[in-house]
Amino acid sequence: MKSSLTMTLPDTTSTRSGLPWRQILLGVLAVAIVVYSFTANGYVVTVIGFAAIYALFCTGLNFFMGFTGQASFGQNAFAALGGYGSAILTADYSVEPAVALVLTMGFSGLVALIVGYPTLRLRGHYLAMATFALGLITYEISINWTDLTQGYMGYSGIPPLGIGPYYADSPKAQLAVIFVLLALGVIAAARLKNSRFGRACRAIAGSELAAGALGIPVARYKLISFVIAAVYASAAGSLFAHFVGFISPEVFGTAMVVQSFTMLYLGGIGTIAGPLIGAVVVSMLPEVMRGLKDFQTVGYLLLLLAILIYAPRGLHGLLERILPDREG
Amino acid sequence: MKRRITLAAALALALAGPVHAADVYKIGAAVGLTGYAATTDRGWRDGLQLAADYLNGKGGIDGHKVELVVEDNKSDPQQAVVAYQKMMSNDHVQIFASGCVSAGNFAAAGAVARAKIPMVLCSILPRRENEIHWAFSFLPPPIYELQTRMAYLKDNTQIRKVGILNDPSPYAMLMAKLAETAAKQYGIQVVAHETYQQDDSDMSVQVGRINAAGAGAIIKIGIGGSTVTIAKNVKQLGLKDMLLLSGLDDAAPYVQAGEVLGDHFMFAATAVQIPSAVTDAEAKAALDAFLTRWKAKYGDRDGSAASRAWDAMMVIDKAVTLAKSTDGPKVRDALEEITHYQGAAALYEFSPKQHNGVVKNPFVMGEVKDGALVQVK
Repeated sequence: MKSSLTMTLPDTTSTRSGLPWRQILLGVLAVAIVVYSFTANGYVVTVIGFAAIYALFCTGLNFFMGFTGQASFGQNAFAALGGYGSAILTADYSVEPAVALVLTMGFSGLVALIVGYPTLRLRGHYLAMATFALGLITYEISINWTDLTQGYMGYSGIPPLGIGPYYADSPKAQLAVIFVLLALGVIAAARLKNSRFGRACRAIAGSELAAGALGIPVARYKLISFVIAAVYASAAGSLFAHFVGFISPEVFGTAMVVQSFTMLYLGGIGTIAGPLIGAVVVSMLPEVMRGLKDFQTVGYLLLLLAILIYAPRGLHGLLERILPDREG
Repeated sequence: MKRRITLAAALALALAGPVHAADVYKIGAAVGLTGYAATTDRGWRDGLQLAADYLNGKGGIDGHKVELVVEDNKSDPQQAVVAYQKMMSNDHVQIFASGCVSAGNFAAAGAVARAKIPMVLCSILPRRENEIHWAFSFLPPPIYELQTRMAYLKDNTQIRKVGILNDPSPYAMLMAKLAETAAKQYGIQVVAHETYQQDDSDMSVQVGRINAAGAGAIIKIGIGGSTVTIAKNVKQLGLKDMLLLSGLDDAAPYVQAGEVLGDHFMFAATAVQIPSAVTDAEAKAALDAFLTRWKAKYGDRDGSAASRAWDAMMVIDKAVTLAKSTDGPKVRDALEEITHYQGAAALYEFSPKQHNGVVKNPFVMGEVKDGALVQVK
């Protein structure tokens, strides 16, 4: 006789069968974008370069917001730290760009640790407001501390990425470096997501009380997740500075927060591929609609709205519906 | 048969394409049609178009039809980089005549210089030597406008203490810092520094603080309806001796503010805003050439930014004619040779060491009399 209990147990013996079409499709698209970008002109290289930088930024933000289920409206602060840190170290102190990138990532992580310790005790709207304030404070500092940041005049003369005699001195070489760093960032995020720590973060996202009851150190894991997101944001900020060669406060303003949130939710929050899809789509859409001239923004926003209505879990969620994981 | 004709026509068009392209001189403009620079940059764009139409009516620039390629940079440096790259890679523009978003022009200046494309700008010049080499500014140095206001206070009033009131836009912030420098030059003390948001509907708190600090005049920096709001607040607070000195703005808010405060409201005016202030015959002729066409198309709309765009196009025309070529480096060299060009907005003097074209203060102090802008006597 079969007990009723056995019927509620999850099927632990099911195995996936057939080809993972969704992953194959995404892989092919990624390869196509990379190949296309290396054969395209400067305009396309610039758009894809910005998309890749934002993809890195969103991958980090996804760790804190998607996997850990927390709200942060202030990650632009760490992008600013990365951007200005790299700019100042390389342009004023002749530090190697690659070294500056790593140093600023470390510094941003430390700042996130110090700021996050008291801030992450807050929850929900209060946490959102506190992180938003962090972004605003950094923005104001970047405007008003002109001796350090040169204010609205901006910081120019930032060298391209490189180390020693090896410099990515052409836009395509810079794009290659950005792609490599993005790939490393995504691989690290995927490994972290499926690690013990990643599973704990997802438990926190589900219910902080339940996660705490299971023995997960909620506060510590939230803090680590926040620091990871800050390190990614810092790397994105540094890459922006080296890619363009110029930064000013507007680059890391509130628009960056709105842009990254759009990318995250449009692509699919809480997934590895979602931020990448979102970054590419949100970066490309305005360019596709450039021909609409004065109606470019209207067309872009209408399309965004349509996507969010018909794909509420983002484009990755839509793909999951069309190409679900097959189970035997 | 029909199909054959269509195919033949398509082939003819395809073959004619490159020939037509060679006859065209493409001028790119990255402008902030949206965002904080929209008011000025829309004027700049319309000035470019007016000049392009005028030049095409005369047979183009050195025989080349002028084609204007305009892209919105949304007053944002990142968007500006994309817009510049699009115009260089896809549209193959031969020169830039870009708007007033300094950070956007700075962000793209490196790539533009590497592509050896000259750029004439509504904004200030980028700061790196290799970028300045390719850039030419048609903006009067920002301090000129502030010096005009400070000089008025020093020469015509007993006021030696002022308060600065500015919005947080990049240009206004830059100007607010320069205002302190200009004040020092004229022996005037800045006793208060207040800011406001562009959409604030009341600034009586800031005005009250400036008054409490002992200021006799408000140096207002920023554009839009805020000038009128501040004027109303000064009146509501009963500050009968307080002067409100504005600048950078359109004629429309000046008229409204003047109606509120009468002769206690003044502003640093451009030549286009008060044409009667221009007495020099050469300058008057240049201004009339622009104003006649501007008024025919846009009526009473303020053409301050447009007049500089018009001048930029006329200088480009002169440079291409001088260079006898549309080649970027040759046009750049020719731009450096343009000295003493009297435009509608100012007199321009370029040289290898002087890429800021405006070297003489073109501003005069204006006030509102019977609903019209007139020079302060």
